[in-house]
Amino acid sequence: MYVRQRGDLRGAPLRLRMEPPMGLFQYIASRLGVYFFVLFIGISVTFFLPRFMPSDPIENYISQLQNQAGQAMNPDDIARLRTTLAELYGLEGSLFSQYVGYLKRVFLTFDFGPSFSSFPRPVTEFILQALPWTLGLLLTTTTLAWLIGNTVGLLAGFFHNKRAATVLEVIGVTIYPIPYYILALIFILVLAYIFPLFPLSTTIRPGPLTFEKIKNILYNSALPALTLITAGFGWNILSMKSLSYATKQEPFVNFARLKGTPPRTMMVSYVFRNALLPQITALALSMGSIFNGALLTEMLFSYPGLGLLMRSAVGSGDYNMLYGTITMTIIAVATATLLIDLLYPLFDPRIRYR
Amino acid sequence: MKRSVWLVALLAFVALALVACGAPAAPAGPAGEAAAGEAAPAGGVMTDVGTPRSETLIFQTFDRKAANPDQMNPLMAYAVWRGFRELGWGYLWETDTGTGESYPELAESMPEVLNDEYTKFRIKLKEGIYWSDGVEFTTDDVIYTLDAYFDGIGKLTNGNISRLTNYIKSYEAIDKYTFEVETVNPAYDFTTVMGVYTWASAFIPVPKHIFEQEEDLAAFRNTYPVTLGPYFVKEYDPNGFWQLWELREDWERSAWGWMGEPKPKWVLYKDFGPEESRVLAFVQNQYDVDTFMSPDSIKGAQQRNDKITTFSPKMPYHNMDDACGYGVLMNMHKAPLDKPEVRWALALSLDLKDVGINSVSGEFKASPLPMVDTQILRPIYFDPMIPWLNEFTLADGYKPFDPDFGSDLVERLREMGIPESELPDTPEEISTNFGIGYWKYDPAEAEKLMASVGMNKNADGFYTLPDGTVWELELVIPGDWNKVMQRVGFSIADSWRKAGIQVNARQVDNAEFGNVQNTNALLTTMLNWTNCIFTPNYLNSWFSIAPEYIMEPNSTELITGNMWRWENERAFELIAESKTMPTTDQRFRDIGVEVLKEFVTDMGYINIMNIPTTIPTNEYYWTGYPKQDNYYAVPYSWWSSAKEMVVNVEPTGMK
Repeated sequence: MYVRQRGDLRGAPLRLRMEPPMGLFQYIASRLGVYFFVLFIGISVTFFLPRFMPSDPIENYISQLQNQAGQAMNPDDIARLRTTLAELYGLEGSLFSQYVGYLKRVFLTFDFGPSFSSFPRPVTEFILQALPWTLGLLLTTTTLAWLIGNTVGLLAGFFHNKRAATVLEVIGVTIYPIPYYILALIFILVLAYIFPLFPLSTTIRPGPLTFEKIKNILYNSALPALTLITAGFGWNILSMKSLSYATKQEPFVNFARLKGTPPRTMMVSYVFRNALLPQITALALSMGSIFNGALLTEMLFSYPGLGLLMRSAVGSGDYNMLYGTITMTIIAVATATLLIDLLYPLFDPRIRYR
Repeated sequence: MKRSVWLVALLAFVALALVACGAPAAPAGPAGEAAAGEAAPAGGVMTDVGTPRSETLIFQTFDRKAANPDQMNPLMAYAVWRGFRELGWGYLWETDTGTGESYPELAESMPEVLNDEYTKFRIKLKEGIYWSDGVEFTTDDVIYTLDAYFDGIGKLTNGNISRLTNYIKSYEAIDKYTFEVETVNPAYDFTTVMGVYTWASAFIPVPKHIFEQEEDLAAFRNTYPVTLGPYFVKEYDPNGFWQLWELREDWERSAWGWMGEPKPKWVLYKDFGPEESRVLAFVQNQYDVDTFMSPDSIKGAQQRNDKITTFSPKMPYHNMDDACGYGVLMNMHKAPLDKPEVRWALALSLDLKDVGINSVSGEFKASPLPMVDTQILRPIYFDPMIPWLNEFTLADGYKPFDPDFGSDLVERLREMGIPESELPDTPEEISTNFGIGYWKYDPAEAEKLMASVGMNKNADGFYTLPDGTVWELELVIPGDWNKVMQRVGFSIADSWRKAGIQVNARQVDNAEFGNVQNTNALLTTMLNWTNCIFTPNYLNSWFSIAPEYIMEPNSTELITGNMWRWENERAFELIAESKTMPTTDQRFRDIGVEVLKEFVTDMGYINIMNIPTTIPTNEYYWTGYPKQDNYYAVPYSWWSSAKEMVVNVEPTGMK
């Protein structure tokens, strides 16, 4: 919760707080309370949702076996297999007792149990293996797309009556609506097939981190990254262009111009800083959703990451894997929201907690 | 701005560090082995995994990305599609995919049957077979593995543990190379349970000297396993996209070293991505054998690379000898599908020529019977059925079989512009390539059958139930995870709609698919792969045609067989009788024909076609793949055909 101060000239109605001022610590405590409540609800919903899916990890495995020639199993074989798997996977007992056990494991030890499709390997191991790839690719591309998009958007908005600005805007308008799958295929076709500058699929060999390996990782990640950046900056161009154009019309910018402030200072210090706030919010939320992975990118480029992990878990009814991956996302988005709430004043000095 | 630059640089560094942290170290291969690719020929193309391309045979993975790539313990549910069944494990008996016959692999000969009840067997192992770490394979390994199965009940997750521990009563070692097994029931299928039926074996020997060192076999992942096959895992992607196998230096004393020298020094299983990007890699000669590429993509690839070939230059271009077929399962216990007239009406409302042309470009082989029409099964079960099918009539005297289906399809394909040289011309060739015939497409007869059970068309042209409400039929089909079946499913729904059936084609994920298949309450109709019968032993699939497998119409208890819910007393008796004799008996095969007749009469489910195994090969680096004019095995990169393939392919000399 923040309030706008006197002198906020961005057009929002001025609110003067009449209630007793809330202390900073009280405010943080309330935000943390909400944060943990959101986590509890999210993690609880995460537990129940997969159970309502029309799939079952044990039956999924059994039906796979039944569909394979030479795997004829009689009812006794299957009954025994069902019992074994239910016991090993921890799917015995009432749903409530499983839920309580799940909450205890997650909140006390951050343990999601074993993966059903790769029993008994813990889900956490899979997540920790996939996470660096997802973070490496998406942190970089989200940040670069945000920086490039906002820079281009700022130029397009500030110099809106220049031909170059129109060109920049057209770039944004053109790229933004292209479905990612199509865009990625175009990049693959041009940069990996017609001009084979990049590999069509990712191949990174295991082994210690050497300079050669770093080069290999960068080489294999370049095309997926390029497609993500290109797909990502279109929206940033359009939104920042609108924001900076609107901000440029504000009285305080006009006042600065009349005062003889240099255009560059005006653009960066007056327009950019004021237009930035919603973009920072969007960036924070994007950072939170990074933990979803980039499923299409991972599928198209055979690139490792959390997206495919989640996809496989849905396909095989691997509840524990789903719990692990979705909980990561919930925690990330909730944390990003909390942080952005707490950090707003650093980006906008007009905002003060009372 | 400077701060921004530093921020970007910092983020890039963090990103890189994160990625680097996620890359585990590669363990060393067997002692004395050179690192992959060290022997690269000067100037030759190298693979992405560091091996000379000219010495590496590369398969597109069957299952794309493995969910559990480091799980290589065959006592558990393991990463099976990575070449383990083909290159790594060894089996007592293997199945020849060209003939359907079993042959000894680890065993010296077929098992000796010790009693008239067919429950006691003596097995002699070949001498001189060694694990990849140099330890000899003996009965100690066999007995240890069986002990592990029985001790592991309730702890090990491989489904075959349940199978074999219910199948075997006792076992004992006789000497270093001989052991005996007693089964619970007469076991006429002993060689295909303890050995390979087609897909795999329920019994996979593990090395005693390795496994006995482990306290908890369920926790043991057996990563980089000691193998009996002539290859060992050289390197694998911890993220599950690829696995590299290397030929053992002592391949001659491996489980199937006697078959001859495998030509590729390395075999790589790799996922090259979705079909859209995979086809580009194929055109660039990045891999040699694809898995289920769609006909359109194959044609596109062939236009850009003349080294890409199909199984045959003639339609339907692909081998059709897979064990399974596609068919529409119907819950025969739910009205109105409980009436044979309705099931037959559905069959006669299906324009299979249209379906096949729309979904797989006409590249399919029809089968009206509930088994696949293959080179192995045709003479045994299909040929004896043809005269009967020609004369078969429905209750109203209508003859539903169309023996000219194949020739009519050829005519349609000719009209579509398929070159004459690519079409079969003699009746025999048409029958071999497109099948013995199929059910007529006759909506008028379907309407007559429907009317006979009170289901008439309304003013909108849709069939109604006897109470006057529109009959809404659900057809469950696979979603994106099986695009060929997805296309076939939509085409079937389209065909039925044209005939006046209000169909809702519902796509489901693979996890839900299994649940629908096995739960009466969830099933109305679904497109499924059905009746996986590869050898003349139909009991592998039909064993469950028995009363104990039948559930209530809306039961939520899961069925464990008889997915097609077929209830027929005569068939129950025949199948029960077939379980009392060797599968090579002529009576056994005659029973198979009788069951087929019962099935057709009832229209147990609507069988459609053999699975079109669209497996193009790239002959830039390797040649000698199984083809119609060089048919030493089915052309699949799985099953024992992969073993024959690696022995029979030859390098082209391209570097």
